[in-house]
Amino acid sequence: MTLRIKVPVAITALAAAMAISNIGCTNNPYPAGESKRNVHYLNFGEDPKSLDPTFSFTTVESNVLDVITPSYFRYHYLQQNPVRLVLNLGTKEPTRTRTPDGGEVWTFTVRKDLRFSNDVCFPESKGRAITAADFIYSWKRMADPKIGYPLTGVFEDNVIGWKEYAAAFNLDRKGMADPNYDKPFPGVTADPNDPYTFSIHLKRPYPQLRFIMAMHHTTPQAREAVEHYNDEYARHPVGCGAYKLTSYTPKQRLVLERNENAPSDIYPTEGDPGDREAGLLDDAGKQLPLTDTLVFDMVRESTSSWNLFLQGYLDETTLNANNFQQAMASNGMLSPQMQEMGIRLRRAQQSAVYYVSFNMKDPLWGGYTPEKRKLRQAISLVLDSQEFIDLALQGNGTPAQWMLPAGLFGYDNEFKHPYRTVDVERAKKLIADAGYPGGKDPKTGERLVMNIDCAAITAAARTQYGILKRQIERVGVKVEIRSTPGSIFRDKLIKGSHQSILYGWFADYPDPENFVFLLYGLNSGPGKPNYAYYENPEYDKLFEKVRDMDDSPERLTLLNQMRDMAIEDSAWIPFYHPEVVTMSHAWVANTKVHPIARDVLLYRKIDNNLRAQKQAEWNKPVWWPLFAFAGIALAGIIPGVIVVKRRVNRKLRAGGGAS
Amino acid sequence: MLRFVLRRLLQAIPTLLGVLTLTWFLFFGTASAESIARRNLSSKDPTPAQVQGWIKEHGYDQPPVVQLRKATVDMLMFKFGKSDATKEDIWERIRQGAGPSIMVSSTIFIGTVLGAVLVAVLAAAFRGTYIDKTTTILCVIMMSVVYTVYVIGGQYFLSKQLRYGPIWGFDPASGLFKYILVPSAIGFAAGIATEIRLYRTFLLDEISQDYVRTARAKGVSETRILAQHVLKNALIPIITNTVAVIPGLILGGLLLENFFGIPGLGSYLFEALGSNDFSVVRAMVFLGTLLYIFGLIMTDIAYAIVDPRVRID
Repeated sequence: MTLRIKVPVAITALAAAMAISNIGCTNNPYPAGESKRNVHYLNFGEDPKSLDPTFSFTTVESNVLDVITPSYFRYHYLQQNPVRLVLNLGTKEPTRTRTPDGGEVWTFTVRKDLRFSNDVCFPESKGRAITAADFIYSWKRMADPKIGYPLTGVFEDNVIGWKEYAAAFNLDRKGMADPNYDKPFPGVTADPNDPYTFSIHLKRPYPQLRFIMAMHHTTPQAREAVEHYNDEYARHPVGCGAYKLTSYTPKQRLVLERNENAPSDIYPTEGDPGDREAGLLDDAGKQLPLTDTLVFDMVRESTSSWNLFLQGYLDETTLNANNFQQAMASNGMLSPQMQEMGIRLRRAQQSAVYYVSFNMKDPLWGGYTPEKRKLRQAISLVLDSQEFIDLALQGNGTPAQWMLPAGLFGYDNEFKHPYRTVDVERAKKLIADAGYPGGKDPKTGERLVMNIDCAAITAAARTQYGILKRQIERVGVKVEIRSTPGSIFRDKLIKGSHQSILYGWFADYPDPENFVFLLYGLNSGPGKPNYAYYENPEYDKLFEKVRDMDDSPERLTLLNQMRDMAIEDSAWIPFYHPEVVTMSHAWVANTKVHPIARDVLLYRKIDNNLRAQKQAEWNKPVWWPLFAFAGIALAGIIPGVIVVKRRVNRKLRAGGGAS
Repeated sequence: MLRFVLRRLLQAIPTLLGVLTLTWFLFFGTASAESIARRNLSSKDPTPAQVQGWIKEHGYDQPPVVQLRKATVDMLMFKFGKSDATKEDIWERIRQGAGPSIMVSSTIFIGTVLGAVLVAVLAAAFRGTYIDKTTTILCVIMMSVVYTVYVIGGQYFLSKQLRYGPIWGFDPASGLFKYILVPSAIGFAAGIATEIRLYRTFLLDEISQDYVRTARAKGVSETRILAQHVLKNALIPIITNTVAVIPGLILGGLLLENFFGIPGLGSYLFEALGSNDFSVVRAMVFLGTLLYIFGLIMTDIAYAIVDPRVRID
């Protein structure tokens, strides 16, 4: 009888399967033994679109690129108050010379010990020495319209000959090579007597050039590499930084290894007050980088990345709405479970500002008459930043009094925006003064409507807009949230057909100019960031002065004048400065966050032994539920087997056919 | 047979053309070339010149008829070109993504079919008893649970709490088993209930046939009737039902791949839609249509092979 044999066979098979799985079963996502090495595990929420240093512009991409392709300057890792630039590939502060026609020439001198990392694009795969010509090549690429340098608008009117040089490129060509690269670029020239010196020629002074020279766009690039890889250059950046890219599987994994050709670099020996106590100077003077390998895994789902972090397979993660409940206790500290695991929390204000702005071209909410101003001032008075931060952002932000975040020149800790202290009564009075008593139009008796335009929204964003709506409606007006797909929303902003928005601006570089230009009249229109369409000739005149000036008491006075002017018009209501909160495991050291710099991974240190120990401790498979499940299934089947046996026996007894 | 296949292949051409044209209109009906360009440029506020340059470089400045004709011809020649967003070679990505997708989805497919046939036979053999009823109740419960819950819950219990496999990752070089164990188990659990119900119906349809009664009357044992007569005949609808799915296995599963970080094709189309990457959407839709048509032809052929009553000419 076959059934009699089947049960023991099944049990044996199950036991065998479990014995096999016991060997193979591990939840360690990495190749065996890798976690024991000096590797730093990080994750991306999204795949980098391009790692071409000239094109790339997102934070995600910069975290990778900035350790591969460094620039003339960089930000001091520890001294952040205020943030400051220090030389990196440059040997001395650039010299600036005014020209008779009001322009300016900046001259840069670069280190002589720079080499590209070894790569197949070079003869014998050996990275060659870098000269000023490689910096100039990068500037030529910035001007090449086919590549799409994101800050073209900043330079095309200011660098001498930019537009003409850009126009000479052939847009229809295949690949990256173009004979135009052999021709000189009048705006960026080499020194005929010194191969390590080059100059940038500007039509008017542009002090912010220092910051541009700290961005990866101005890194030296190898023409051999660009022309060898062509479109694939976006996935094969070649630089001279502390790391080189050794493997990249799009949507999956990106690995950086220590670059053997990197110039000598040491951990900073000074920091901000408190850094020494926090252990951030323990590695002072040590050779950088402190970790051999950086591994970026593309974990798209935040649930997945959070769980990987809890298992110890990711070294750090950021706090978000999904993991907030589990990570934090009600007192704003880490939850006891997280503390027990040795997890540490770090908050850092970002160099950014979120704001509510009206479209000044809008017939109802825009305009410069005293009545229209009062309408907008009233809205400013009922927006409660702190409540918004507590409810929608889990407390991760600071109410904004004006555009500039802390740490920037022009930021005034003492300043209080005259319309940013919540006062509903005063707001109601302003609305009445503007001709809408009780928020209603006396002619029609209808409530005033304020439309807030936004991109198609997620659950988290819905909460945010809900809070905003409730806060504003306290003044008597009606708020409509007009949600559309992202591309339609962008079109509205470009055409200026929106009414009001809640929007954010993240600084490209830490200069007040990069914020106050959001209200510059010439910055409104397609491709420009002045979505308030604010046009105030006086503001513009002051802006042009501030833009071209170095930091000085006079610059501060002008900045304050601009601020007061814009506040009276209230086209733009400062809302909050966002914070980023990161969590890291006990085995990760030097985790100070920088508001601007993205090359901070150079300084990270990993205790891989502690990590291996904790990973083993936290990840033992739990077998009993599998046994229990198998037991229940068997228990369910056995009575059935008995039934079958009975049936067969009955048939046998009745003299039926054998099976 | 050959004539039939040829005819079906020829019929596929207008279908493909129609799908390609429809995709083009649906895509550009909802997004302008300009907004796609803005999305794919890195600048927060690209200049009009940059936007125009991007449109020109990607050929979206040509008249619709030219674009359509070129795109269609390229597709039919299997020239997929490069991604609008990343400039990656699309063929290369499809080639890389097909492997991981097949590994997971075929494990799930084979497991589900075999498991479902086994349970369905059991349920049919014990029809009317508590085993049949319990199976039915369990199946209905399992069918009522949303797929997302299987994926998220499965990951939570199997990978996080019980730690049987990694939450995320895929690296066949360091052992395929550990990476596909949990995703396959989830896919299996999520899909098996529907199949069991379906196969049980097929089996019961056969059980009530005259030939079964005849066999019983001749004294053939119940086990033998089930294994030799009923199952063999019930396999016809089972095979025709499953064959159509086989080509689609290459495309993998969207949610599962996303949650477990399996670099398959399931998430490729989804991401392309999210980033308005028309060249990838077009290629993937084309591939999907092609595989679907291929699946249907295979079904017809399989039908003819397993069921001698069916002739195709």
